[in-house]
Formats: sequence, structure tokens, C-alpha cells
Amino acid sequence: MDRQTSLLRVRREIERISSLGYKELASQLPKDRRPIGFFCPYVPEELIHAAGGLPLRLMGIPTKISRATLHLPPYCCHLTKSSFESLLQGELDFLQGVIFSHTCDSMQGLSDIWAHQKRLPMHFNLMIPTNLDSEHSRPYLKAEMERFKEFLESHLGEITPQKLKDSIHLFNRIRERLGEIYTRRRGGLNELPGGFFAQTIRAGYLMDRVRYLELLEEMLNALPDGTDDGEDLVPVYVSGNMAHFALYFSIIEEAGAIVARDDLCTGARTLRLMVQEGLDPIEGLTQRYFTSFFCPTKHKGHRAHMETLLEDVEKSGARGVIFLLYKYCEAHYFDYPDLKAALESKGIPSLLLDVEDPSYSLEQLKLRIQAFVEMLRPI
Amino acid sequence: MTDHVTPDNPYRKINSTSAYRRLMTAYYFMVKHPKWFGKKVAWITSGGPVEPLYAMGVLPFYPENYGAMCGASRMSVSLCEAAEQKGYSRDLCSYALTDIGSSFTGKGPLGPLPKPDFLVCGNNICGTVIKWYEIQARAFNVPVFFLDTPFIHDQIHEHTAHYVEKQMESYIAFLERQLHRPFSENRFQRVWSRSLEAIALWKEILDLSRRHPAPFAAFDAFIHMAPIVTLRGTLWAVRYYRRLKKELEERVKKGVGAFAREEIRLIWDNIPIWYDIRNLSKMLSSHGAVLVADTYTSAWALDEIDSTQPLNGLARAYATIHLNRGLEYKIQKIANLIENYGAHGFIMHSNRSCKPYSLGQYDLKREVSKATGKPGLIIEADHTDSRSYAPARVEKQIQIFMEIVKNKA
Repeated sequence: MDRQTSLLRVRREIERISSLGYKELASQLPKDRRPIGFFCPYVPEELIHAAGGLPLRLMGIPTKISRATLHLPPYCCHLTKSSFESLLQGELDFLQGVIFSHTCDSMQGLSDIWAHQKRLPMHFNLMIPTNLDSEHSRPYLKAEMERFKEFLESHLGEITPQKLKDSIHLFNRIRERLGEIYTRRRGGLNELPGGFFAQTIRAGYLMDRVRYLELLEEMLNALPDGTDDGEDLVPVYVSGNMAHFALYFSIIEEAGAIVARDDLCTGARTLRLMVQEGLDPIEGLTQRYFTSFFCPTKHKGHRAHMETLLEDVEKSGARGVIFLLYKYCEAHYFDYPDLKAALESKGIPSLLLDVEDPSYSLEQLKLRIQAFVEMLRPI
Repeated sequence: MTDHVTPDNPYRKINSTSAYRRLMTAYYFMVKHPKWFGKKVAWITSGGPVEPLYAMGVLPFYPENYGAMCGASRMSVSLCEAAEQKGYSRDLCSYALTDIGSSFTGKGPLGPLPKPDFLVCGNNICGTVIKWYEIQARAFNVPVFFLDTPFIHDQIHEHTAHYVEKQMESYIAFLERQLHRPFSENRFQRVWSRSLEAIALWKEILDLSRRHPAPFAAFDAFIHMAPIVTLRGTLWAVRYYRRLKKELEERVKKGVGAFAREEIRLIWDNIPIWYDIRNLSKMLSSHGAVLVADTYTSAWALDEIDSTQPLNGLARAYATIHLNRGLEYKIQKIANLIENYGAHGFIMHSNRSCKPYSLGQYDLKREVSKATGKPGLIIEADHTDSRSYAPARVEKQIQIFMEIVKNKA
């Protein structure tokens, strides 16, 4: 098969999966694994996978919020509202359970409201310590990982050391391949435009991971190397929540920019979650959350977010930063003014965009991104 | 509580209020001028363990309390706007915005805030404080100690209790580093026993309102809670609450209530709407309704205290406060308050600035009503930012609710 045909095949499969609604997705899942929902990378997908589950990330879908308003106040983010709406509408009934990890106050509240519905057979709260800058938080998290393992074993199946090692290896390989795709994207913009790239990221959370790895490897083999298709495009950096919607990436490219790197909760940020394979698996899964700053809901020193962002933006060569933040996301919005000021002190402008339902205010979004990219373009 | 009077249902002023005012004036005077007293100042969250600070001779300052003060004196909106001009979103907690705005501008009821020597942040009340204290740590360039108390969705696990206990040891080590002196166990024991006494007194005071009529309304508790928050561990708090308790016991003996007429007894859930306390109190009392208990002020009557093990007891008590507990616990707690206080219904403040308190209230309301048969009302507001409050709508809601309660009673 030639490169173009191969890539076309990969593209069709990824586009199909990433565009499926939850109900349609259910019929496409492998029958030998039990689907378990989760929201956040603080949930170790490897453990779910090793227990015989299929981790499915709930990333929020464009949906009219009606039933959820009977349970949630309006000042919750779109992810919270739309995911709960999907649950109430029965869209998630195919899930065997859902795993919450402790992050923000909204997810904390949602977990209890969700459990109270008693709609899914399994519900677990993995309590990630908030202070990752304390010597006591690592043994605590390890104990939580053990508790989670026991829970999965009692509901799904035994997690043997070998099974866990295999799952860790699989997810590490996926991260490695994604890392390569991030690096080689600029050389293959025609083949891997922004919208498709976002769909590639998204699909990875919604399908069998062995098949996903095959798709990524096929994609890498088919991507051209060498030429820089994106040399006329303005490199920008995107920071924020899980905003891998094709829409944002397409608009950014249509405006004449390219996402040189991102720090999105669904994206390059998760590449920092490589597990050291030589370690005891539970130790490895625990340790990875302490190696670098990961999420603003956690404390890892009061300058950690700023320092990590500045370093990453500088490394990416981006000329500007677009913040894609869920409206009502306190953790991000509290950090934003100081991040903006720190970027400005380095001569890097930024643009803040609220993320609600991504289909809202499309034209206004386009205009703002176009104006920002124009401002960044050298005269 | 102010000494307002509604024509047909006069509020009975608490005589101890003048002592309360003197006490809080003295406290704020010290916090404003720590150097005059040779003291260091630590900013601390409302659910943070203050006892080790007093044991080490440090003055605690509570930005949340200050936020409440700004709200009650209606200065919060302009301070929030000052923070918003610096790029902070209006959707953020208005306590935090008020404090940040006050730090920027030097404005507020106390004028410029006392600069902290260090910060102590406990997340047993919310995740907001993590970000808020990080901001202030950067702004003032001071160290911050975080006490991480994992949220208890169902039960506290042994490894969770152990985690908090170990951090309590780190807290002590942090204080020793900041103050360059060793932690005195003896001194801590004294502070701890005063703290226990003040907590017990506060609990007894709140319990007095189980009597009919209630001698002490929740609106009174919102005001008189300041010493249990800020001065817990001092003799000042103990003396003050002894005095207040005595006065309220006199009321009980004489059958005197907080209001002349008490026909409807209600429970309040969430932080008060600080800028509208007087109006709400007036509105309710005009219907003969009295808020006899609430989930907010009772949070400082720490439930799970093991007085035999000071530091470990402290850790467990702070890890298990109301706001750090899951929905099922809260349903049970409000249902118990309704039963114990003989309440006819409950009012919940859906507070856009406090997600831990407010998420789950819709389910809470349904479940509590189902369990107790008592009606509930949810009103939307914000604890200090009056821009998110529609008083006319709330007045209408309360009128209708009063009819429902009266019909059910």
C-alpha cells in the first residue's frame, strides 16, 4: 500500500471514531473488554486496561443541557454539565463504571451527584493528593493506587504483574508515537492538518488501544519527512483544558497559524506521563505524577505552572499563546493573570478564549483568532 | 446582628454584642499592628489548624473572614472589580477576588491588609484556596504551607488519616523553620485545651437553639462565629463564649427567643449572603420565621475530636469537617438538624462562589425533603458579590416558600 492510501485509511478510521456519539461508539468497542469511563489523566488507564477494562475518556460533547440543570448549578464547566447530561440521557449506559480522580471542586461535586444516580454498576474515587510538593504525598498516592487496584480486581479481573507491565508498555508506546507525531507534524501539514490532528488525539481515548497504536504507527510510516510545509504559518502554543476539538485547530490553521505545541489536558501534557518500566509497576504509576508539574488543580510549588509554561513555550518557538480555558475552571482562571504577565515579560502575547459548548459563537471565535494571528505575523 | 426592629416581630438584641465588638476590634488592632506586639502574622484559611500558630505566638489573619467583613460592609464589589481589572475572571470566588483586590488597592474596611510573614492553607474547605494562596505567596514573596486533607466521599481510610497526621508534623517543622524556635508541646497543650473548651462552648451555644423559642438565630451565629474562627485556642474566645452562653441560657430560662414571634423554624445551608443578612432576617421574621440552625457555623463545632491525642486528634478533626464530606453525609446532617431543632423547612443558598457547598444542593434538597417531609427552598446568590443577587426575586421566592411551609406545618 502506498503512503497516501495508507494515510487515507488511517484518516477514515480516526475521523469515524472521533465523530461518533457515545451510543454509536458503544457498538464499535471490542467485546472482550469492559468499558470504563474516566475524565482525567490522573486516572491510570494502565491499571484499568490491565484489569481487562477499556478506559474511555469522557471529554464532553456538544449537547443541549436540559436534564442536568435539575442537578447542577449553572456555574459549572461544560465538561461537567455535558457529561452528566449524557449520563442522564442514557448515552453512557453501556459503561460498566466511571472513575473519578480528585482534581477540582466541580469534579468532586459531580462525582457524588453521579454516584447518587446509581446508574452505572461501578463508581470509584481515586484521591490524588492536592499537594504534590510534600514528602508525604507519594506514599499516600501509592496507597491510593493499591486501593484502586484492589477495586478493579474485585470488579473486573486480576491484575497480574505481567499484565500491568504489558499495559504500561502499551501506553508508553502510544505516548512515544504521539510525541513523534507532535514533532513531525510540521513536515506533514497537508497530510495531518490541525482538525485531523485534534481528532487523532481524541480518538486515542475512545478506542481499543492496541488498534490505536497500530494506527499511529501506520500514520508515522506514511507521513513525509523533511520538508516543512508549515514554514509560512505563525507558530502558536495552545494551553488549557481538554480542548481537542477539531474546530479550534482548524480555525487556528485557517487563520494562518499552526499549533507548534500544546499544553492541553488531552494533548502534549499527557506525554509527561511516561512510566519508568524498570520499576515496580505501582511505584512507576505513582512516581510519574511527581516528576513534573501537570495540572493547576495541584500544588507543586507556587511558581511551577509559570515556569513549566514559559520553558515549554520557549522550546516550541511559538510567537504567541492561546489559552483555551473552560468557562468556570477556577484552577486555570486563577493562574491566568500571572501566566499572561509572565509571558508578556518575555515578549510573548497571549489570547484568552472561553470554552463552553464548542459550537457556540463560532464567528466571533474565528475573528478573535484571526486578529491575534495577524498581530503575531511579522510585518 | 444589628439591632433592627420589624414592626410586628422585634429582634432582641444580644447584650454580649458590645463585648464581641470590643473583642474583634482588639483582635484586628493586633493583626494590623503586629510589630507593636512583637508578633508575626500568618494568613490562614478558615478551616486551617490555627492552634499551632497560637502555640507559637503567631497572629492568624483570615482573608475569608475579611472577605465576609467586606461583603457585610458592601465594599466587596469594588474590590472584586479591582481584581477583575488585573485579569481575574468574575466567575472566580468573590472572597478571593475581594482579598486580591484589597491587596492591590490597599482598600477595604481595615485599609491596607497586614503583610503576611507566611501563609497556611488547608484545602478542607475547597480547592479554591490552593490557587488563591499560591497567588498571594507570589505577590508577597512569602512561603506557604499546604495541609492537604483529601475529600471524604464516603469514609476516611486509615492511610488518609495517616497522611494528614504526617503533614501535621510537617506543619510543626515548617513553623519552627519560620520562627527559628522550637515548638513547645506544653504551650500547645494549653492552646489545644482552650480550643477544645471554645469549641465545646460554641457547640453548646448552637445547641441552645434546639429550645423553643430559639434564643440565638442563625443570623446571630453568623456574626458571633468570628471568635471561634479567628481566636480558637485563646482565652479571649473562651471568656467571650462563656459570657455569651450565660446570656443565652438566661433567655432559655425565661423563654425568650431571638425574635418576639417564632412560628416557623428553618435551617440554613451554605455561607451567608453577607451583604443582605439584615434584609433577609427582616423578611423572614416578618413571616414569623427564624433560622434556628445552619450548616455553616456548626462546621466549627468540630465533630470528630480525639482530645487524648492532640496532634493526631487535630489532624482527624480538620480532615472531617462538614465541607470536606460527601453528599450522603450532608443529606444526613441536614436531616438531623431538621429533626434536632424541630425545623419546619430549610433554605439553601446556591452560592456561585462556593462550589463545594453548592454542587449537590439540588439532590440534597430532594433527598432531605424525602427523608424529613419538610420543604426546602434554593435561592441563588453569592456570598459577597451582590452583582449576582436579585433581591426582589428572592423576596418573592421566600413569600411563596413561607406559604408552603405554613400549609405544611
